[in-house]
Amino acid sequence: MRRSVVSSLFPLSFLAVGLLLLTACGPSINRYALIEQHLLAGDAKQADAIVQQAESSYGSKSRVLYGMDRGMTLQLAGDYRQSSAVLEQAEEDVERLYTRSIRSETAAFLTNDNALPYEGEAYEQVLLNVMKALNYAVQGQWQESLVEARRIDHRLNVLSDKAKEITVYKDDGFARYLTGILYEATGDVNNAFIAYRKAYEAYEAMSGWARTPVPGQLRADLLRTSEALQLTAEFEEYRRLFPDQAWQSREAVQHLAQVVLVSYNGRAPRKEDRFLDLPISLDALQLVLLNRGLSHPSRHQNRGVDTVLYGLNGHVVRVALPQLIPQKTRVTGEQLMLRDDSGRHISARSELGQNITALAEKSLSDRLPGMTVKALARAAAKFAMAEGATRGAQQAAGKDAAPLVGLLVGLLTKGLAVASEEADKRSWQTLPDEIHLTRVWAAPGQYQMSVQLAGGGANAANTPGRALALAPGQTTIVIQRVMQ
Amino acid sequence: METKRGWLGLMAVLSLVLSGCGQETKITRVDAGVVTDLSGRWNDTDSRMVAETMVKEALGYPWLGNFTQGKHRQPVVVVGTILNSSHEHISIQTFVTDLERELTNSQKVTFVAGKGERDELRTERKEQAMYAREDTQKAPGKELGADYMMKGTISTILDEAEGTKAVFYQIDLQMVDLESNAKVWYGQKKIKKVIEKKRTIF
Repeated sequence: MRRSVVSSLFPLSFLAVGLLLLTACGPSINRYALIEQHLLAGDAKQADAIVQQAESSYGSKSRVLYGMDRGMTLQLAGDYRQSSAVLEQAEEDVERLYTRSIRSETAAFLTNDNALPYEGEAYEQVLLNVMKALNYAVQGQWQESLVEARRIDHRLNVLSDKAKEITVYKDDGFARYLTGILYEATGDVNNAFIAYRKAYEAYEAMSGWARTPVPGQLRADLLRTSEALQLTAEFEEYRRLFPDQAWQSREAVQHLAQVVLVSYNGRAPRKEDRFLDLPISLDALQLVLLNRGLSHPSRHQNRGVDTVLYGLNGHVVRVALPQLIPQKTRVTGEQLMLRDDSGRHISARSELGQNITALAEKSLSDRLPGMTVKALARAAAKFAMAEGATRGAQQAAGKDAAPLVGLLVGLLTKGLAVASEEADKRSWQTLPDEIHLTRVWAAPGQYQMSVQLAGGGANAANTPGRALALAPGQTTIVIQRVMQ
Repeated sequence: METKRGWLGLMAVLSLVLSGCGQETKITRVDAGVVTDLSGRWNDTDSRMVAETMVKEALGYPWLGNFTQGKHRQPVVVVGTILNSSHEHISIQTFVTDLERELTNSQKVTFVAGKGERDELRTERKEQAMYAREDTQKAPGKELGADYMMKGTISTILDEAEGTKAVFYQIDLQMVDLESNAKVWYGQKKIKKVIEKKRTIF
């Protein structure tokens, strides 16, 4: 009998090791606090060093996420070439992940979705190309940035073909708008007009959930480019739609220099676990209600207690789903000012281009029904396996040792089922909450550029000024990061 | 016995779950002429094959014979801008080098350095004028002016659905008379690739 108990307990130690290994797979959240701390201090190079040092902790399943985070911090640190290289690799990885591995899917079904390789949400994949396009544009490599513009168009077309419902994320006003700016910067007014028109349509289509109105500047761009192309019908239509919109003709601006300020404001939302503890007996219901209730957010310190309690009870099935925690920016806008040597100045106010929090919320709400079904199926399968293992061990242990072995195996297997349940909380968290755009045309010359932040309470401040040398017909893209 | 088997099964499943982190890297040397279509993107084979075919085609047209007969010398050709209008970050420099190699090796035209290279050569001549021995200095103003410029574009059309992607490359090259702006030759090469990705693997 003693031998039987020992032999039954041997696999338990294996399970315990498995449990330990599985719990170590969850994404690390603390690195984001460090990254944000350095970005807040204006030290993007140090923020990038933290991402680089954390490469191994991302794990093989989160290579794309590492590429996204690293690409962003490299861009903020001013290493645009390396940022593009890293983001390019991430994009290649996304393409490779189209092919799903049955092994990974099985592992995810037995544990949690963190066992699946992270391929990014659809809007994050589009932003990969947006970030690369900006990298090339900042360096003045316009032809390379247009490659990204074409990829954005293709990606959005594929997304649109795939989406069966009208309301899902399948087009992107900001990404389209940026491609229009890039085309116009290279003198390709025709493609710029098409991109602006698609951007306008996308902003309109997204208006129900994106919380981003059509930028006034985009209206002016539509009027300018449709007039320049002598598209009379389109021009008249836009004049009718935007009767009060101030705009300048292409003739008036083509010998001027343009400054485009892209401001990343705030922090993208983070994800947390939301647990649903489903009792399948009356005493389990009492336990769940006494413990933390049926639905509750994740607290790291509670997880060990839950594992033991629910493992011992054996009649609680845990389901984990992700929930978004918004981290809204307090900055409502920026005032861009260009001052020349004689003290004359030109100023322009920014407009909201993209609300990334709204995109994340939409993306999660679109996927939540499917995620819930999968999580419930997984929880049921885990419970059935744990129940099977407990009964098998009891039988093997013999009549006398069965209660003790059943208790121990039940604690481990059902505890394992509870402990391994974790939502996939991975997301491109180095993104901002909002992206603001400011466009201003100025006569060629030397300028001192400054940006004043609006909103943000007592912490609102001007960002450091910088000198700009503007040539006729030239477009200069400036990226700034505002953490408030 | 059956219970043991059950445990073994569970252990096998868990080891499957926990495995899969390792990645193998295998390197094999192959001849540079071997076609290696790995990702479906524009690659060295495309660059080489297009350059070979198109330069051969360009030099087979009457403009070359007409020029040689009329001027009693080989035409001087320079490669201008090859614009990348595709969906890929194509190394245009590799393609330009392939074109330059084919033009030079054809022995039917005299090929002169392009814009970027000329700047470097001119700087070198300026430095020679200052620092080199007088009898070894190369004088300015003796460059060979090109008669024709070869320029063109690489563009793509993409179509994709359900993991299958069709990439259509169109390479347009033209030979332009630098004196008259007349286009004496227009060549086109098309490449179509279909990339099929499996939805699931084990």
